[in-house]
Amino acid sequence: MTHIIELQHVWKRYDTGGEVVEALKDVDFYADPGEFVSVMGPSGSGKSTMLNVLGLLDTPTEGTVLLDGQDVTDLSDHEMTTQRKQFVGFIFQSFHLIPTLSALENVEVPTLFGDDPSARERATDLLERVGLGNRLHYRPDQLSGGQKQRVAIARALVNEPRILLADEPTGNLDRKTGRSVLDLFDEIRREDDVAVIAVTHDPQLGEYADRTVQLVDGRIQ
Amino acid sequence: MSFFDDLFRRVPALLMARRNLSRNRIRSGLAVLGIIIGVLAIASLGMFGTTLRTGADQQLGEIGNEISISPNLQEGVEELTDRDVDEIERAVTDGEVVPLRSESALVSRGQQQTVATIYGMENPGALYEAQEGRVPDRLRQGALVGSGTAEILDVEPGNTISVDGRTYRIAAVLAEEQGISLVSPNNAVVVPLEDVNGTGYSQVVVSSDSGQAANESAVAIRESLNERDERVNVFELQAITQGIDQFFGIINTFLIGIGSISLVVAGVSILNVMLMSTIERRQEIGVLRAVGVQRGDVIRMILAEAGLLGVAGGVIGAILAVGAGVALNSFVLNDPLATFQPVNFLYILLAVGFGIGTSILSGLYPAWKAANERPVEALRK
Ligand SMILES: Nc1ncnc2c1ncn2[C@@H]1O[C@H](COP(=O)(O)OP(=O)(O)OP(=O)(O)O)[C@@H](O)[C@H]1O
Ligand SMILES: [Mg+2]
Repeated sequence: MTHIIELQHVWKRYDTGGEVVEALKDVDFYADPGEFVSVMGPSGSGKSTMLNVLGLLDTPTEGTVLLDGQDVTDLSDHEMTTQRKQFVGFIFQSFHLIPTLSALENVEVPTLFGDDPSARERATDLLERVGLGNRLHYRPDQLSGGQKQRVAIARALVNEPRILLADEPTGNLDRKTGRSVLDLFDEIRREDDVAVIAVTHDPQLGEYADRTVQLVDGRIQ
Repeated sequence: MSFFDDLFRRVPALLMARRNLSRNRIRSGLAVLGIIIGVLAIASLGMFGTTLRTGADQQLGEIGNEISISPNLQEGVEELTDRDVDEIERAVTDGEVVPLRSESALVSRGQQQTVATIYGMENPGALYEAQEGRVPDRLRQGALVGSGTAEILDVEPGNTISVDGRTYRIAAVLAEEQGISLVSPNNAVVVPLEDVNGTGYSQVVVSSDSGQAANESAVAIRESLNERDERVNVFELQAITQGIDQFFGIINTFLIGIGSISLVVAGVSILNVMLMSTIERRQEIGVLRAVGVQRGDVIRMILAEAGLLGVAGGVIGAILAVGAGVALNSFVLNDPLATFQPVNFLYILLAVGFGIGTSILSGLYPAWKAANERPVEALRK
């Protein structure tokens, strides 16, 4: 079976005016469908950078990115965006919901530009699944932190991605709410065969993960 | 409502744009106000020009269709002869030739009296229309009285008046000439030609159906009568009316130019608003890009925002401009309906088009800037 996403010898360098920062150093990584991988490491070790490369949001300076066995390293911005829309769901630490849109509309955002007649139905189903069936038309400022994160999860899932990327998904939540979010991840990867890759400082996430990868100073340990 | 829902489904950029604009209503409102002022300025200044021109046209009447031939006194020609009139008649292909003699005289009826211009002409029907009574084709007896003179003397057709001692029965009171005329009937009395002293003619008026025909006659008359020496002066008003038209054209362009400056200012304010709002929404746009929204769609979304500002400003500006036009025309021309001329709609269309164009143009740079920001950078706090 091919890995759904794979990094081979990936380097990421930032040129900050004279000094070159190496955020990723020769990183090899993969995730399989239905797998829950947690990425841990100290601050500044390159976790977010790796997640961005995995999510086709950023390109590596060196090395190869394989998406479902295809080399996607050198795609154009347009093609990368298309692949991202099709394969990847992002969940951010600070939710990043659009304040002017209702919960339902926020979930629909990734489907908005393009002909997608069943999008509304899928969005409604997902919100019901994350327990927000009675909050469809609330705006983000009318929702609690945990509810916002669940809207963000529904948004990440609306295009039926194969990979779910989460950057500190529980960082802004209390333990109990964090746990319910993690339960949701667990359910999603089991039922939908989605690869979940989550960056975290949260030790309770370790209990859920099939595998934990340690990143220190840009290197996988 | 369902129409908008449908529209928003089909053009999601519009939905996003509308929501974004309602986020900061005061700011959007001010941007729209700028466009309103610009559109109003262009449209109403354009219409103001039309009003001026219409007013001037009313004053000038059909003067452009008439030419007047008079003897060239500087060359020693005292009056026009029958031979001159024959030549003029041969030169004119399209238009009626009216030779006339004129003088000033005391006109009276009973105790009332006034000084009037007396025109002696054979065929006044070519130049005048009756307000009361009938203007005969050939004037052999009786007199035609201008409306002003008739009012002073308090006469109507059938009355008799005395001109310089002679007595005339009034055949008609002439319709008032609103504009300028070479031989204005308003304060005049028209009598048969032979009743005015003299042998030749003091003036020959040629009345045509169009300014162009008048101009052709003038050229032909100059060629034939002034071939050897400058025997006559040909006075043509068409040149003047053309000049006046041109003048109003320049005024119009100038006014619209002034209006355009205010639109440029409005454009800068939209640029500012859009730039601020895209900078504020940096992260949001980053999220959009991260969840698979293409660059082009981000550009469309921001252009739709600018376009909506432009459309709102344009529509409101156009409505206000029509209102301003109606007010102006009822004040200046006493005719509010004069606003609804095709040329005015052209100005409104032009103004609205400029307004929307300016808005979209002002949205281009912010849109381009927002779409080209790398989502990774935008998402970093
Ligand atoms: N755009 C950039 N320009 C310069 N340096 C950068 C840039 N982005 C990241 N870096 C550097 O790359 C390194 C890794 O950053 P990254 O954000 O991946 O860390 P992280 O592991 O996510 O840290 P944290 O746990 O604090 O979020 C850091 O040293 C950071 O300073
Ligand atoms: Mg990070």
